[in-house]
Amino acid sequence: MFAPYLILLALFGVWPIVQAGLVSLEPTVINPAGGAQNFADVVADVRFVPAALNVVVFLVMYVPAMLIVVSLMSLLLDTVQGRWNLPLRLAYIVPASMTGATAVLIWYFMLEPSLSPYQDALHALGITQGNQIWRQGGLAWIFVAMAFFVGAGNWIVVQYGSLQSISDDILEAARIDGANSWQIAWRIKLPLIRKYLVYMGILVFAAGLQVFVEPQLISGSVYTGIAKDWSLNQLSYDLAFQSNNLADSAALSLMLLVVCIVAAIVVIFRSDFFEGTGVGSKK
Amino acid sequence: MTTETITTASSGRAHGVVRTRGFGAITGRTVVWIVLAVFGILSVVPMIWLILAPSKTAKQLNDDAPFSFGSFAQYGVAWNNLLSQNNGVILNWMGNSVVYTASIVVISCLTAVLAGYALAATALPFKRALLIITLVAMIIPPVALVVPLFVEISAIGLYDNPISVILTSSFYPFGVFLAYIYFSTSIPTELYEAAKVDGAGEFTTFFRIALPLSRGLFGMLAFFSFSAAWVNYFLPYVLLQSQENFNLSLGLGFLFTSSPALNPQNGAQQSLIGRPEIALASLFLAIPILIVFIASSRLLVRGVLAGAVKS
Repeated sequence: MFAPYLILLALFGVWPIVQAGLVSLEPTVINPAGGAQNFADVVADVRFVPAALNVVVFLVMYVPAMLIVVSLMSLLLDTVQGRWNLPLRLAYIVPASMTGATAVLIWYFMLEPSLSPYQDALHALGITQGNQIWRQGGLAWIFVAMAFFVGAGNWIVVQYGSLQSISDDILEAARIDGANSWQIAWRIKLPLIRKYLVYMGILVFAAGLQVFVEPQLISGSVYTGIAKDWSLNQLSYDLAFQSNNLADSAALSLMLLVVCIVAAIVVIFRSDFFEGTGVGSKK
Repeated sequence: MTTETITTASSGRAHGVVRTRGFGAITGRTVVWIVLAVFGILSVVPMIWLILAPSKTAKQLNDDAPFSFGSFAQYGVAWNNLLSQNNGVILNWMGNSVVYTASIVVISCLTAVLAGYALAATALPFKRALLIITLVAMIIPPVALVVPLFVEISAIGLYDNPISVILTSSFYPFGVFLAYIYFSTSIPTELYEAAKVDGAGEFTTFFRIALPLSRGLFGMLAFFSFSAAWVNYFLPYVLLQSQENFNLSLGLGFLFTSSPALNPQNGAQQSLIGRPEIALASLFLAIPILIVFIASSRLLVRGVLAGAVKS
């Protein structure tokens, strides 16, 4: 019964990593000897440090923004029961349907001062030309906005669901003790859904580390080359498909993968998220 | 919620203090509503814009107000222009999206349910190790494996073959985890044991006992599998080469980079693919997933994560 999944796991979960490991050690044009030197070559690539910095800046904005806004919005949503609750939740998941190329199209229009529904707001900010926004150096926050817009709504709905699992008795007890809504949210609800927020934080971090589609599409369509090799994953892609340097590309992929695996192991063994599932930390 | 009097006789902090929450509570309430409503409006504005965009010509899209409506006929014009692209390759893309997504949902959900059940209710060797590997795989974003998968797929000669996208996307560790939790918590294990005592084998127990009880589980698995598969971009981007093998999300990306719609320097100047056409293609990608989201919102209420990990 386990076999069909085991085959998929072995073929598309484990084997690609093993094979990437082998490929990453193969000789390259710059390093005919192959071996671990490939990893050093990738780090020494002139594009590596800027891309790594971009990704760090992206993560520093993206992960906290997601955590704060999603916590806040799901807590607020939780205080509003009744007929408007469902329509609000439906509204929040609408943006999740506009991913990838659709998101790029939307954001191109939203941020183009002459076309945007927000043109008044943009003008008020002193932005009258698209190239005031779309310029190298200022791209991180646009990609954060794009990724945030696609991801936040779904997570708000999911964490709202987490809040529903808190027993009414606890909330009632807090109310009887005289806690107001803020105190209940801050002292009771938030700590009780903390582990789901930690889990979300790790997933958001892992996904953010791999940012690819937004810069790649912007760079390939609207503003040619503006975000070429902007992220580490784009660099990995270009190494493989522009430079025909599969070894270095695999090496870079593996480095990113190791960070994700470490993050995964931390959440499995060091957080209480998987408590009671037979694997996580036992208390 | 206007004036609430709380008499805290039992609490030592405030003996018989009557506290009124009048004005403060009302403003607090108002702020909450404003924040919720503004976030809601910001969420739907782009979708409304996207629905209206193909009703306008490229010129109207430039000159008219962002939320103006052109004409219904213009949707037809935009559609015909899309069809003119490479002898209606967009129909291929849509068909491919449907076929790929359907295959992925079926394969991924079946393998996940079987594996989750095997982990939860049968004697499986190395259970803990398999579970840990599954959890690690579930946290790693699929994007991280794209280049390694490309290396593997080219080595086994499946490059530019749709099978490669279907099989690689059917690996669904999150589904296995959800199914495992479901079968180990929502259904009492006594039930499986009783069936086995009565002489039922593993498969009989699964098909007669576990499967009929897991309709809700299937709904949830299919929802997540569908949402990932329908918008799948990076993996097919790397694994497929021929235009006629693209799915819709890849095709849309292709229209972006090959037409002058968003960048006049791109592609053939006489191309009929302009901004309204791109917007219409985007709608075809967004609407199915929106419908599935709205239809499944009931599933998400109970708490995907909370329900999943409660022991």
